Amino acid sequence: MKGSLVTIKNVEKSFGGFRALKGVSLEIKKGEFYSLLGPSGCGKTTLLRIIAGFEEPSAGAVLLDGRDMVPIPANRRPVNTIFQTYALFPHLTVFENVAFPLRLKKLPNATVKDKVQQFLELVKLPNEGKKLPAQLSGGQKQRVAIARALINEPSVLLLDEPLSALDAKLRQHMLIELDTIHDKIGITFIYVTHDQQEALSVSDRVAVMNEGEIVQIGTPFEIYESPTSPFVAHFIGETNYIIGAVTRLIDEVRVEIEFPEIGAVVAYRDKPLSVGDSVKMTIRPEKIRISTELPEGLSEKFNVLSGNVDEVIYSGFQSKFFVRMGERTMFRVFKQHVRYFMDEKAINWKDQVYIWWHYNDSFIVEVGET
Amino acid sequence: MRKKYGPLYVTPLTVWLAAFFVIPISIIVYYSFLTKRPATGGVIHQFSLEAYTALINPLIFRIALNTFWVACVSTVIMIALAIPTAYYMARSKYKNFFLLLVIIPFLTNFLIRIYAWMAILGNNGILNNALASIGLIDSHIQFLYNVNAVILLTVYTYLPFAILPLYSTIEKFDFSLLEAARDLGATKLTAMLRILFPNIRAGITTAVLFTFIPAFGNYAIPQIIGDAGSYMLGNVIARELTVTRNWPLASSLSVVLTTLTTLGVLLFMRFNRSATEGAAAMAAAAKRRQGMRAAI
Repeated sequence: MKGSLVTIKNVEKSFGGFRALKGVSLEIKKGEFYSLLGPSGCGKTTLLRIIAGFEEPSAGAVLLDGRDMVPIPANRRPVNTIFQTYALFPHLTVFENVAFPLRLKKLPNATVKDKVQQFLELVKLPNEGKKLPAQLSGGQKQRVAIARALINEPSVLLLDEPLSALDAKLRQHMLIELDTIHDKIGITFIYVTHDQQEALSVSDRVAVMNEGEIVQIGTPFEIYESPTSPFVAHFIGETNYIIGAVTRLIDEVRVEIEFPEIGAVVAYRDKPLSVGDSVKMTIRPEKIRISTELPEGLSEKFNVLSGNVDEVIYSGFQSKFFVRMGERTMFRVFKQHVRYFMDEKAINWKDQVYIWWHYNDSFIVEVGET
Repeated sequence: MRKKYGPLYVTPLTVWLAAFFVIPISIIVYYSFLTKRPATGGVIHQFSLEAYTALINPLIFRIALNTFWVACVSTVIMIALAIPTAYYMARSKYKNFFLLLVIIPFLTNFLIRIYAWMAILGNNGILNNALASIGLIDSHIQFLYNVNAVILLTVYTYLPFAILPLYSTIEKFDFSLLEAARDLGATKLTAMLRILFPNIRAGITTAVLFTFIPAFGNYAIPQIIGDAGSYMLGNVIARELTVTRNWPLASSLSVVLTTLTTLGVLLFMRFNRSATEGAAAMAAAAKRRQGMRAAI
């Protein structure tokens, strides 16, 4: 592919008998904010360390701007890393930490001073240069790590779960800041995280990994709205699964599926199917509407079911309802509160409710054998 | 209310230090200001500075320099060996096994280990025989009874005291810092020199104190496998005490040696502020041992 800056070709990595990476291929474009997302142990950090030069791939190639990186040692790659624990040098001041790469190049003092100041300003720490890392807060340490990694003007910045040590509020804040810095300097970011929220909110593209393999690559929108496998659907956000059998191919885009305990439901048809196929259908809980009364004039494009509320979890901005349809079937439904208690009758435990959703929002993630 | 018992808890230590540290040192200081009993040796309880003026002697000065030199060379060798060893141990999966290996020599008596070395290095020893049997040498090589043998045995004896404090500091070192340095453009060597070394300074300081002090107060090793060229201050003290029976001189030399070592340690620690309080405490213990050995 033309225009790609980082190319990973069939990279494999084994530690002893354990295969951490089983042939991974990626194309990352110049200037992209690219996330590697997956549960712990999926190989995302190993892949990042291979790009950084801390690990050698057992097989495969890592190209940067068309140049093979594998024989080049970490210190000579135009790539810098932000470590999970920041890895600031405890014996050096903030200024000297950021200046470290420039000192190695033996640049004149005045140049170092100007440049360090410029980068400390970029991360909004213009006055903390004299402090030692131990005197900084977690968020400040993170900023120093960012300044230090950027001062060499790398063509790729690698971020290894950079926000995992911060508390939730600060994480959100730093994420926005990272995004701003990315927009400002325009270099390629490769971001490793297990937090789908982080990956979705800042990435241009996301590669979802599991057990040493890439399971799906796409924009955050694609990953969330059209997962291609049950793993992705389940890992990114919450979802309802239900297994049934195809009974009728209605038209080009619709398929009717019969589910035990529920009956017939219409789903979006985006893959070849035939009558009798056993399928796994998914529907996101926030796409389902819920009420004690069935609204009038619903279009036939909506699936309507009824059940009993098994459990209600109130969490401020929304409530989660577990609606039981039968012995073995339960739906999770999220309801956003717009004007709670004001817009309609409250839904309580054991209430009989109706749930409905547009057929378009339910789709098939897996086709099994008949 | 609980605080009331505080002083009680330190009583055993106070008694111990008074009995085995303060009193012996005081006796040594006292004896150093007494007059030597002529002919039979020992002391007359009469004030004299003779023992101190006798120290201003080119021979003693030369031996002091020699002692300092041997201690310095041994310390440098020990630190140079201990840093890579401790580094490897700290990064190994078999840390505890290696720690055990370092400690094993302590299970055997110090003198027995020296005699074992004599069996290896002697003119008719294992090493000479082995070299001769493979035809590398015609006649034996003189390994023992010179300053090199003293340095070798000093290094062998005190190396664990360098490895252990270094190991405990390196083990706490965050190795991702080395990766960060590499990532930012440092070669492996630069990363070690500019990141690892400054961060394990406390360990290096402790290791230097732990090895230099006993090496400086060395007595048994030069006595058994040294020659006139490796004669050290510890040997002078022992000779004055047991052979010549000039007790005031032995005492004054001990006092000067202990004072100089203490000053040296304080100075060294001043230059290495990062040395922890723990290291300081251990150094004090080492110094005490040395002071006692010199006194015996």
